[in-house]
Amino acid sequence: MPSAVPTGKERITKFTNCRLVIGNELVEQDLWVSSATGKIVRSQEVFYGENVVPDITIDLKGKIISPGLIDVQLNGAFGFNFSQIPEDPSSYGKTLRQVNKRLIQTGVTSYLPTLTSEKIEVYHQALPFLGPSGTHRIAEDGSESLGAHCEGPFINPTKNGIHKVANIISAHSFKDLETVYLSSHLNPTLDPHTGALRPPVIKKITAAPEVGNMMRLIPEITSQGIVYSIGHTEATYEEASQAVASGATMITHLFNAMRPLHHRNPGVFGVLGIAESLPRPYFGIIADGIHLHPTSIKIAFNAHPEGFILVTDAMHLVGLEDGIYAWTNGERIIKVGSKLILEGTEDKIAGSSITLIECVTNFLNWGGVTVPQALKAVTSTPAAMLGLSQAKGNLVSDADADLVVLEEVQGADGWRELRVDQVWKFGAKVWDREM
Amino acid sequence: MRLIIRDDPASASSYIANYIINRIKAFAPTPSHPFVLGLPTGSSPVLIYKILVEKFKAGEISFENVVTFNMDEYIGIPREHPESYHTFMYKHFFSHVNVHPKNIHILNGNAPDLEAECVAYEAAIKAHGGIDLFLGGIGPDGHIAFNEPGSSLASRTRVKTLAYDTIIANSRFFGNDLEKVPKMALTVGVQTVLEAREVVIIITGAHKALALQKCIEGGVNHMWTLSSLQLHPHPMIVVDEDATLELQVKTVKYFKSIEKVAASQGFEQILPSAIRTGPRPTQNHVDPTPAVKEEPSIQAPQPLTSTLLAAPATEYPLRSHSPDLIPDRMGARIAAY
Repeated sequence: MPSAVPTGKERITKFTNCRLVIGNELVEQDLWVSSATGKIVRSQEVFYGENVVPDITIDLKGKIISPGLIDVQLNGAFGFNFSQIPEDPSSYGKTLRQVNKRLIQTGVTSYLPTLTSEKIEVYHQALPFLGPSGTHRIAEDGSESLGAHCEGPFINPTKNGIHKVANIISAHSFKDLETVYLSSHLNPTLDPHTGALRPPVIKKITAAPEVGNMMRLIPEITSQGIVYSIGHTEATYEEASQAVASGATMITHLFNAMRPLHHRNPGVFGVLGIAESLPRPYFGIIADGIHLHPTSIKIAFNAHPEGFILVTDAMHLVGLEDGIYAWTNGERIIKVGSKLILEGTEDKIAGSSITLIECVTNFLNWGGVTVPQALKAVTSTPAAMLGLSQAKGNLVSDADADLVVLEEVQGADGWRELRVDQVWKFGAKVWDREM
Repeated sequence: MRLIIRDDPASASSYIANYIINRIKAFAPTPSHPFVLGLPTGSSPVLIYKILVEKFKAGEISFENVVTFNMDEYIGIPREHPESYHTFMYKHFFSHVNVHPKNIHILNGNAPDLEAECVAYEAAIKAHGGIDLFLGGIGPDGHIAFNEPGSSLASRTRVKTLAYDTIIANSRFFGNDLEKVPKMALTVGVQTVLEAREVVIIITGAHKALALQKCIEGGVNHMWTLSSLQLHPHPMIVVDEDATLELQVKTVKYFKSIEKVAASQGFEQILPSAIRTGPRPTQNHVDPTPAVKEEPSIQAPQPLTSTLLAAPATEYPLRSHSPDLIPDRMGARIAAY
């Protein structure tokens, strides 16, 4: 196979001898990406139309190419908590950039940085840094924010999880949301240079529909292009159905921080049953082996496979050693393996410290699903939930060339693991296991 | 006519793929003297392309100095349409090998002036010195390219209206919607194919047995356009056993024995050396063949006797292992009979 020695100036890369994750299939097909446009190339069109041939051909020897992974609920990583404003607030942006560069090495090429229920000042100081960061399409910037995810503070204090109850408030009008998040973060803004309309800083809001006037505010939230997600809620099945009818398209960590499924009141889970003739929402699942029993995950998947999204809900402790770490408001978290417990409690789960690819591997083994089905839950499904199917999460022409090269490794015990071998962002390689 | 019979489509395809590879290697193409290859689409050649791609990936052959001309293309469907022949060629061959796109020629079914496109296509073939090897398949009615029954055997590249049967047959690729099926196509003519220095045809499957019988055992007939191959100096048809169902046992045995004897004599199915390397400009080489030999064609027919007698005189000496051998005078040869 003729292939030149990389010179670092290649614009068009062709992957060959690879298996692409397309829909529910692994398709043996070449893939062309351009580092000039940062997109997947319409290879046949440029081949015939512009006589373009790839600058470099990479033989992947049968490995899998998946769209870059998307984590729609990530609280922090590598010791940096998005919700914690450092003593020197000017260092927030710098640390965030370092986190992005390390995060991408785990295969997560884009994500929603997630803020838990915090004091108002935290939103005001952190949100300016957390908006969509891919405008300049620079591969070296690392993992890309698709917009902030505000998980709270408009949640139900009785389903607070580890969110501090003192920070939880209720909204009675859209003005209340603007007071907390600031209207500049809720509305699309004009790009000062190009004049183009930029999406709002906030991409997704998790709130309890039954608290305050939230139910009536849902249409106003979604009309801004923001995803409304049901979560941290005491909502009954009826209330959850009403929220879906009002425009809720997502459920935040299904089963966790909500009423359990009861056969006489199925609660939030019930909306997955196409009852009331409503469209079914997407839902997040934490497959870390702690938050949910593997069988619950399977039941949720089989109830609505097209809406199944794997999230990590990982804390800033992901990637750090075991030990006791500071948490917000003076509380502390004990990390043992990937398990995080709030200090002073018996078993209050304080988020996870699992990586997204580990979640995929877990689901692959527990769920009895195929590799493309498992990967769909962190690529095309979250992209569809965010309304970004054209650009993210799919290996289609003109989509962003965010890729993960995976090797399926089977252990002696039959455990199938997906190992990240290479990560590509905007058509350029940003990480390689062999480098 | 060389008729090569193999047990199944796989070995027939593999025979052709290897044959093409050997031809390209013997030709030793260079940028200024490329190997010009005519290519078909359809189901029969898919396996041939697959083997060629495998051999390319194994490093056994390079298509760097190969120029290609395709047989045909639909009119009026986008180039990137999944059923276009551009897409077929890209999917099965061009995207996997190193044929440079500037060396690829496929008729443009969306050209503003289709007739001009056809004229330009013929001119491009000429400009490349003609086609060295035209690979083809046939339809169950014996058509080659889109030259359906009744096409002139002297035809050249042109716009062709598809037969209603073909449109119905093709509708399965267009969502069973007759409206969406292209009604016209651009195609090389029978004469364009016959002018190639060598023509290699793959025919597999029982449904093409009648066509093979008509083309081999029947006479030259415009209702079976492939039968025109009988007028070509160097045709080769490679078939599987199923395709021979309508042939006489005698015919099958005859061609099998020819191949066997030729193999035992070390000839295989090779071509005269001048054809094998193409018309290369040489300086001190003394050409043993007559300087310009007018190839007989439908448009410029030569007396039958001259064709019959001239063929052995130019070919047999060249098949020997010493290519510099000067042939006998023709007169002497006739006397020997």
